[in-house]
Amino acid sequence: MTHPPYRWHSKLTPWVFIIPTVIGILVFRLIPIVSSLYLSFTDWNLLSSPAFIKLGNYQELLSSEEFIGIVLNTLQFSLIYVVGSIVCGLALAVLINVRIKGISFFRSAIYLPVVTSAVAVGIIWNWMLGPTYGLVNNLIEAIGLTPPYWLGDTKLALNTVASVQVWKMSGYYMIIFLAGLQGINRDTLESARVDGANAFQSFFRITLPMLMPTLFFVLTITIIDSFKNFELIYAMTKGGPQNASNTLVYDVYLNAFVYYRVGYASAIAYILLLFVGLMTIFNFYIKKHLIQNLD
Amino acid sequence: MKKLLMTLVVLLALGLLFAAGGAETKAETEEITLEWWTWDPELLEQNEQIISSFEAANPGVTINNTIVGTKEYWTKIRIQANQNKLPDVFTMSSGYIEEWAKAGLLYNLDSFIKNDDTFTNFYQSIFDTSKEISNTESYYSIPFALVTTVLYYNKDAFDAAGVSYPSDDWTWDDFKKAAKQLTIDKNGDGKTDQWGHWFYGRYAHIEPWVYANNGKLIDKNSMQFNPDKNAMDAIKMLTDLVLVDKVAPPQKDMTSFQQQDVFSQGVAAMWVDGSWFVDTLRKNVGDDMRWGIARVPSGPAGPSNLTYGWPDSYALAPNTKHPEMAWKFAKYVAGEGINLDVYMAGKIPSAKKLAEDPLFADPSKQPGEEMNLLREQASGPMTTSYTMGWSEWRGYGGSESLGLNGTIDAIINSHMSFDEAFKKGTENINSVLKRYYK
Repeated sequence: MTHPPYRWHSKLTPWVFIIPTVIGILVFRLIPIVSSLYLSFTDWNLLSSPAFIKLGNYQELLSSEEFIGIVLNTLQFSLIYVVGSIVCGLALAVLINVRIKGISFFRSAIYLPVVTSAVAVGIIWNWMLGPTYGLVNNLIEAIGLTPPYWLGDTKLALNTVASVQVWKMSGYYMIIFLAGLQGINRDTLESARVDGANAFQSFFRITLPMLMPTLFFVLTITIIDSFKNFELIYAMTKGGPQNASNTLVYDVYLNAFVYYRVGYASAIAYILLLFVGLMTIFNFYIKKHLIQNLD
Repeated sequence: MKKLLMTLVVLLALGLLFAAGGAETKAETEEITLEWWTWDPELLEQNEQIISSFEAANPGVTINNTIVGTKEYWTKIRIQANQNKLPDVFTMSSGYIEEWAKAGLLYNLDSFIKNDDTFTNFYQSIFDTSKEISNTESYYSIPFALVTTVLYYNKDAFDAAGVSYPSDDWTWDDFKKAAKQLTIDKNGDGKTDQWGHWFYGRYAHIEPWVYANNGKLIDKNSMQFNPDKNAMDAIKMLTDLVLVDKVAPPQKDMTSFQQQDVFSQGVAAMWVDGSWFVDTLRKNVGDDMRWGIARVPSGPAGPSNLTYGWPDSYALAPNTKHPEMAWKFAKYVAGEGINLDVYMAGKIPSAKKLAEDPLFADPSKQPGEEMNLLREQASGPMTTSYTMGWSEWRGYGGSESLGLNGTIDAIINSHMSFDEAFKKGTENINSVLKRYYK
């Protein structure tokens, strides 16, 4: 009897190497993901056993006015974050894409907020945006304007937190854009200049189109990152005032770890997954139909 | 054959002898290990001292202390409860006693308390308050301290404005009059630099006034949020301080402060909060400011001595293998075996010998003799608003901007009118309570 040349168990060594990762993914990712799907159909306060309530949590969520508001907040936060991060990240990248003395200092300085703890960033911005003694409001008053309540106003709080998140993360996207910019052939830009193109024309006609693959990559990751907004909200507004800055991620935290409604929190998490899934499909669609030729 | 039989008998007899001896030896040195969970990592050293003195007095007993950070404590201990692995002795919050007792997760201490001289050493009133909070007929926790709420006032500010210090017979009018005199624009720029009073929707800022006016927030029969007239009058009086009298700032003006710093930094001359802030003020303010504590003034419909206060406790696991030893240890850590310096200043020990220690009202530390107020409160009537689901409907910790807290903030921040906010708030609060009390 002859052995087939490629039997799976004849390659035991690769399995030995990947087993730790596979176990890690199973225990810390896949099993919790599947379990939380089951939990989203239960009522569970961690104390007793989960009670199966079918679609009860989803029905409660969809009939809750508060929840609809939280979904809209999440989308608003994402929009501000995605647009803000791309515009600021790209602008910063263009600004520092020059060869002058000391530029590496600016590159590091702009990147610094990315590696700073979100809670520390939240506390510092809370002080700076403070209504009475805050630096920002004092500057606004100094030029004779009436400053707003950045975090105390229901209409502003979410935008403020999202903007601080943009401030914190722009440096990260800047680095990615910078890599993209440095990959653009300088000869093309120089010939455009010789042909009489000004800086704006060069940017919009040459740099930006050639940067499309990078832009698409940044768009994808900013959309994913835009849903990860727990820490700043916790440090700055705790979802307030009156749910004005509450998002799906923060609401999962509140329900799971403050109210101990684990089933309900799992249902919220699955709705969040639905949004992230839809965004990902949308991304693939854009990539396939709009910019595939640019890769 | 006979010889063999004799040998067997002797061997058997010897075996029995050794077995009995072995059992006796085992009984004498039976090892007991108790698991003890607490939530304040700062107390590590103190806990170690308590354990070594208890172990020295009780040979054969080993105590394993697990300290979990305050924020993770409840998640972790809930999972322990779910797995039937609760530690023998653990810290319990008044906010959860009812839920846990009703779920059968706390050891019923009635027989211990009945057959023991517990109340020779401990204040029965504090145990009774804990029993009332559990909403049952039994004792489920061993309080180690009581916390109450008091009016903090800045003596320097009072002196500078020529206002006399708060007294036990202060009415709400006296309080408002003082607040007005203490609201000062120091540099004449049209902005208030020192407010008379400071509060927002926080439970310890609001409920003391509600109870000082003999009000009720929860209807105990229906277990619904249904504030009576006295309660609403108290809340209206407070919100008017911001909106009408302009002697307290809206919450949105103070978002850049840690709430306890508004008073200690001199931005407000009066503040009502938990008695444990005595400790914080001693540490943060030192001698930079003179301050005192007083009773929260009684409202027009109020009794003069009803206090909003609640105990911090220990509880025993319902399935502990060593209930007697766990009870003994719990009483030890709740007061019998510890010193006053273990306590955060402002927490009133439930053990009589500690609460009556002259150093409790140490004249060399602020607020000196006024600390006796806490002892008076501890011996008088007390009430709370704890129910199941309290942190959700009240708006506490991570949900501070929501619930009743958010409702009151919406009023003082002028986001909603009083009536509109309460209409919406009551609906939300009752939908929470309905889930817990079906």
